[in-house]
Amino acid sequence: MANKKIKQIAIYGKGGIGKSTTTSNISAALVKQGFKVMQFGCDPKSDSTNTLRGGKYIPTVLDTLREKTTVKASEVIHEGFGGVYCVEAGGPAPGVGCAGRGIITAVQLFKQQRVFEELDLDFVIYDVLGDVVCGGFAVPIREGIAEHVFTVSSADFMAVYAANNLFRGIHKYSNAGGALLGGVIANSINAPYAKEIIDDFVKQTKTQVVEYVPRSVTVTQSELQGKTTIEAAPNSEQAKIYTRLALKIAEHTESKVPEPLDVHELREWASKWADHLLALETGEVTSKASCI
Amino acid sequence: MGKFVDRPKYICAMGGAVATLNALPGVVPILHAAAGCGFNISNAINGGGGYVGSGYCGGQSLPSSNVFEKEIVFGGEGRLEQQILSTMEIAEADIYFVITGCMVEMIGDDAVSVVKRLNKGKRLFAADTGGFRGNSYKGYDIVLSKLFSEYVQTGLEKDERLVNLWGIVPVQDVYWKGNLRVLKKLVEGLGYKVNTFFGEDETLEDLKESSKAILNIVVSDTYGIDAAKTFKEVHDTDYITTDFPIGDHGTARFIKEVGTALGASNEVINALIKKERKRYYGYLERVVDAYSDFDLQRYAVIVGDANYTQGLTRFLSDDLGWLPELVIINDLLEEEQKEFLRRKFSDYESGIKPELVFDTDASSVLKHINRHWEVNKNPRYYDSMTPAFLIGSSFEKETAQKIKAQHLSVMYPVSNRVVLDRAYAGFEGALTLTEDIFSVLLESR
Repeated sequence: MANKKIKQIAIYGKGGIGKSTTTSNISAALVKQGFKVMQFGCDPKSDSTNTLRGGKYIPTVLDTLREKTTVKASEVIHEGFGGVYCVEAGGPAPGVGCAGRGIITAVQLFKQQRVFEELDLDFVIYDVLGDVVCGGFAVPIREGIAEHVFTVSSADFMAVYAANNLFRGIHKYSNAGGALLGGVIANSINAPYAKEIIDDFVKQTKTQVVEYVPRSVTVTQSELQGKTTIEAAPNSEQAKIYTRLALKIAEHTESKVPEPLDVHELREWASKWADHLLALETGEVTSKASCI
Repeated sequence: MGKFVDRPKYICAMGGAVATLNALPGVVPILHAAAGCGFNISNAINGGGGYVGSGYCGGQSLPSSNVFEKEIVFGGEGRLEQQILSTMEIAEADIYFVITGCMVEMIGDDAVSVVKRLNKGKRLFAADTGGFRGNSYKGYDIVLSKLFSEYVQTGLEKDERLVNLWGIVPVQDVYWKGNLRVLKKLVEGLGYKVNTFFGEDETLEDLKESSKAILNIVVSDTYGIDAAKTFKEVHDTDYITTDFPIGDHGTARFIKEVGTALGASNEVINALIKKERKRYYGYLERVVDAYSDFDLQRYAVIVGDANYTQGLTRFLSDDLGWLPELVIINDLLEEEQKEFLRRKFSDYESGIKPELVFDTDASSVLKHINRHWEVNKNPRYYDSMTPAFLIGSSFEKETAQKIKAQHLSVMYPVSNRVVLDRAYAGFEGALTLTEDIFSVLLESR
């Protein structure tokens, strides 16, 4: 299997938007399909893989590095649901040190030790903290690590703003062999206008929506049990959506360079939607809203 | 993107801070930085500072937290605390002063609060000196400001006969110690006691009680001004800025400015100038025969920092009777500072008006010389800028050879000379400078 191509995917999104939930469900769905998957949490909070491991925290790469000067990657890989290999990069305590550098250190450690090849993986999925605030959080999309990036976003402006920032990062590294954008995973899409907002945003930035994931109480119930929806409610409607999403990602081959909006364009775009939503709320019926 | 500086004639803010702290008696700097910082800074200080050496606890002995990736990821405050405590145990000093490098500041390490937590009173200080904050001059200002606001005692009764004098930056002025000695002696000639902090026989006790002074004399329009403002704010002491004086024309002005600010009588001021001139010209006249016989007048190009270039140009133009053609200042300066400095190069008694250029690239000197004076393209008659003399740093040695000029390193970096107690300031320094310049001219004899 020496020539097997490992598909490396990075999933970004604003904090609290549902990245880890989505990523863990994708990982769980993929192992159920018979793939070998590693989920690599790139967030100092180190809770990306919790629902794959019954809600339990695992020692992180950086925790282990703090204690010892050298770390064998095998020491920080923990198996979760269905045999998903779980890794948490970890990071410093809040308010000190440099979390970005921590992510770089952890990712490079794995790359150097050629762990992915040894484990004969089909997928490595990086679950990365939100706003790409510094170079460290961009490491999965540069240096030829991940090939495809997906961003989780709701229709909230701040989530869209974070997604647009990520697009800027991808755009920047696209000429230097960095990852390209697979598309947007539209999360918590329940209100009809939310779908419209996300659709309009992907149109503006020349990308696509991979899947619309509605907000669901099943997800909450599963998480409270420390499980993914795929594990806790495999026959639910939500599990079907996650499985469909996972398969789409598995089959996805062609990513593109997005065209992010600049700050003024983004503001203008947002205020246009603000006017539209206000019109909806006040009951004003215009031709555009009348179809809703 | 900002313009880069080609061949800078200074180090970073932390480098300036190290040089400043090393020049204070009984002070041990503690670097909170990567291992390379201390090493590079030491080399730049020693190699460019006329081989000033490591001193009591400098050079390769500088205590440093030497942070590595672990400290960068998890924060380096713990490592710093460890380093402070071990340094205090091993190295004897009156003051330990923590200074920070770029990377620890970028990750948000707070050296000042680490020092506060350790609660060592007036024996332990910290200042943020990340290299990106500026160059050596900034480091000098940061360290002085910190000491003035936290070490110098407040509420002391003023001593009407005491002044402080600074603005001569250790190592950036390679002859700082000698220069401070000369300037101190001059002000003492007006009847005052003088603290220079970094000069001969200065003590930390003097620094601690320097708030007793009635005036701060900053011998620069560019360096040490922030520190003077801090001093004024904390201790309510006024300050004046003066030009760095070399020779009769510069130094007589200096004495008058300082004397007037201190309220000294004209008799005292004039008597001091008279006495100094008598000695000065008594020696200077010796060289007059050789000057005339060998025709030792030269066109001059002066390249260096804001302090020295104006002092040197005035000395060459008005004391030595030379022809300063071009002055290049390599410092990083604000527009207002440049405007202010321009006025310093336009009031010579000789009536000479040298071209003044501000260029932060020390590599551009030859380009400016060739622009200023038409290059020889072999016409039948050519008025060449020879004989010429270039006063600058070691960086200008090759340029001088290219224009067939003779050369003397006066400003940082000085790597081709060993400097001990030499001074170029004042009347006394001007005699030494004359010796050095004319010795270069006559060395082939």
